[in-house]
Amino acid sequence: MSHGPRIVDAAQMDLPAGSLWRRLPLFSAIAAIVGIGASFAMRAGDEKQFYFSWLVAFLYFMSLGLGALLFVLIQYATKTGWGIVVRRLAENTAAGLIVMVLAFIPVYIGLDKMYAWTDEAHLDEIVRGKMWFLGAENYIVFGVLYFAVWIFLAWWFRAGSVKQDLTGDHDLTRRRIVVAGPAIVLVALTLTFASFHWAMSLDPHWYSTIFGVYYFAGSFVCVFAFLSLVVLGLRRAGALEGFVTVEHRHDLGKLLFAFVVFWAYIGFSQFFLIWYANIPEETEWYLERMHHGWQPVTIFLAVGHFGLPFLYLMSRHIKRNKLTLGLGAAWMLFMHFVDLHWVVMPAHHGKEFGVTLLDVTTMLGVGGLFLTAFGFCLTRAKLVPAKDPRLIESITFENF
Amino acid sequence: MAHQLDNTHEPVEGRAPLILGGHDFKSLTGKVAEPLERKTPLGWWLCFLPSVAMLSVLGIAVAWLFWEGVGIWGLNNPVGWGWAIVNFVFWVGIGHAGTLISAILFLFRQKWRTSINRSAEAMTIFAVMCALIFPGIHVGRVWVAYWMFPLPNQMAMWPNFRSPLIWDVFAVSTYATVSLLFWYVGLIPDLATIRDRATSRLKKIIYGLFALGWRASTRHWQHYERAYLILAALATPLVLSVHSIVSMDFAASQLPGWHTTIFPPYFVAGAIFSGFAMVVTLMVICRKAFKMEAILTLRHFENMAKIIMVTGMMVGYAYAIEFFIAAYSGNPYEQFVFINRAFGPYAWAYWIMVGCNVLSPQIFWFKRFRTNLKVLFVMSIFVNIGMWFERFVIVVTSLHRDFLPSSWDYYSPTFWDVLTLIGSFGLFFTMFCLFARFLPMVAMAEVKTVLPGADPHGDGPKAVIQGAD
Repeated sequence: MSHGPRIVDAAQMDLPAGSLWRRLPLFSAIAAIVGIGASFAMRAGDEKQFYFSWLVAFLYFMSLGLGALLFVLIQYATKTGWGIVVRRLAENTAAGLIVMVLAFIPVYIGLDKMYAWTDEAHLDEIVRGKMWFLGAENYIVFGVLYFAVWIFLAWWFRAGSVKQDLTGDHDLTRRRIVVAGPAIVLVALTLTFASFHWAMSLDPHWYSTIFGVYYFAGSFVCVFAFLSLVVLGLRRAGALEGFVTVEHRHDLGKLLFAFVVFWAYIGFSQFFLIWYANIPEETEWYLERMHHGWQPVTIFLAVGHFGLPFLYLMSRHIKRNKLTLGLGAAWMLFMHFVDLHWVVMPAHHGKEFGVTLLDVTTMLGVGGLFLTAFGFCLTRAKLVPAKDPRLIESITFENF
Repeated sequence: MAHQLDNTHEPVEGRAPLILGGHDFKSLTGKVAEPLERKTPLGWWLCFLPSVAMLSVLGIAVAWLFWEGVGIWGLNNPVGWGWAIVNFVFWVGIGHAGTLISAILFLFRQKWRTSINRSAEAMTIFAVMCALIFPGIHVGRVWVAYWMFPLPNQMAMWPNFRSPLIWDVFAVSTYATVSLLFWYVGLIPDLATIRDRATSRLKKIIYGLFALGWRASTRHWQHYERAYLILAALATPLVLSVHSIVSMDFAASQLPGWHTTIFPPYFVAGAIFSGFAMVVTLMVICRKAFKMEAILTLRHFENMAKIIMVTGMMVGYAYAIEFFIAAYSGNPYEQFVFINRAFGPYAWAYWIMVGCNVLSPQIFWFKRFRTNLKVLFVMSIFVNIGMWFERFVIVVTSLHRDFLPSSWDYYSPTFWDVLTLIGSFGLFFTMFCLFARFLPMVAMAEVKTVLPGADPHGDGPKAVIQGAD
């Protein structure tokens, strides 16, 4: 071990000239146009499928953005040291929420294709009694409210952080530490009710108090997998050398592992209590998923979203090796899609599981839209908060 | 002096010191070991004797219970689970802070844990002891309490493995075992220190026995650190599993108000909430009694206040979501239970719970209150009152309104219920007094690692960004 201070090159905070990452906004925009265009082209063929596939893609990238936003807020609230070097990337990811409001429009247009409670003429008494929360008006009013909170926070936290790159003003950090606490409360509540509106109400009879926590758990799995891949990709492109070290990748891997376990804990709590009590109002949700074509998917989810990654990510070596961490992160991004598909799709076709081309094109389209915003932010500012007062602490952090 | 001891201001440019008073390794050892080496002070007797008196109350209450049966308690027909289960869940919950501090905060590299982890872990073990009393004495025929364990027997009779109550037996006993091991492993280097400082032969032998021949060689430390990390990793799921399984005692049933999917994480948050409150109660007293202001600093208390506020809001989130889903569910039984909780005959208990657990911790948004020890002490008592009432509300309100209105009743505790609860506090405080007298209250070896002297390259930046404007 050397004893002098480590020298890191400030140029590593920028994307190298000619790096493909600089074209990320362009490539993403093309993907968005192709994906959305193809999806709309196929819409006429199977309108219902179009909207359901769109909803899965929408929930997927919302969870990524929300997870990133919460990660940024928690970093400020806890005065994190280690994570400063990955915070800008999380801020850029959270900025994806800003364009997701566009992806919300088709969801709202397709309400009556997806949500049984839209068919007001044929509702039974129980669902009619829920219209103080459900209903198209509530859906749009609450939806706008949720987005207003998230967009404001995602923008405000990133804007101040980017401003600090230029001014070096430490008051920007102090102010964000103060706001982060109440902001976490706001995001926790809006995320919960959004998950009730958007996903839980697909089956208007069914309810589960833990559902919001379940969506949150998945969103944290998604964001740590995503950040791990982005960090690996940027290092490969020759950026962030000396800033994001093996220690930070190790920590991202640890958090990914932790939330893989947390997701399983929450998912199992929900399943187990419903299975054990065996009350028909609740079991119907799992009944659909445990029979016919959905049964293998449920087993695959348990094994692929928990069993395998639990054993795989436990090892220190696997989290510290670039290739193995990258494989694990990519796998978890895929499994998170399986998870949301499994949550949403049985409301569309209860008996058989099937993947259509629309599932692919909507992911491509909505993902392209999300990544356009992410890439736009990525290319327009430093890759790390260059003048954050704790940057040096973050750079030199080591796992013991 | 007071000004010098304030390390609650942490500049964004750096980190506030964790240990004040200019301590080095030697002075720290002296400060922590000294109380064990002087003559027993009068103050200790003033705490210990009343605790033992309360403990004897437990003895009397339990003896009368064994003689007379559970009829001496206030249980009635719909409310078959009364204070015994409330006290059980209450004490298990208290017992969560120790392992959270020693395992989860360790994995999260929260170095401030070093000043409080020893006593928090001790408290955990004592709280679990208190908790274990209640299921044991609640069984009615105590002479067959061992039937709770799956012991092979000539009647080929086994406990019902499908009952969450039997999972509790495994979960709590595993937790007690691992917590004890964890605590003991952490104690070994400090026991060796006390052994080396001991002036009497008897002390040398006793502390020496428990120090397991520790000589602080590099090899010893390497094994120690490895064992500590592994135990932390093993204890982390236990922090979650124990109270999750306790919550299933209720949630696996079909009873409205008990059966709800958020119960496992909600109980875990509540357990950490109450556990930290108890740590604050004890540490405020110990800080004063042992004059440890420089080791148990205001910053430690401020951090605990923050954890109390966060977990309090998690509990509040669960209350709110339960209410919301009851309204949303369209299930009239669910709706009845929650309206009955808030406005029925036990509304007083419900609002004590909400007031203590959700509303009062909101003052911790302000630093002024987080760093005021008087406020913290009062709040920590409030929280524990609130958390006791939470279990009371859950147990009693869901039971006292049966599905059949003719069996509705109102549950009240008897004199003996109250004595048993007071007695369990006697056990807890007696154990804690003994701990404070005979074992080092603070993990000396661990605190030394956060002193500036532990960092060989102390001053100056460890990295320089070249080419930055």
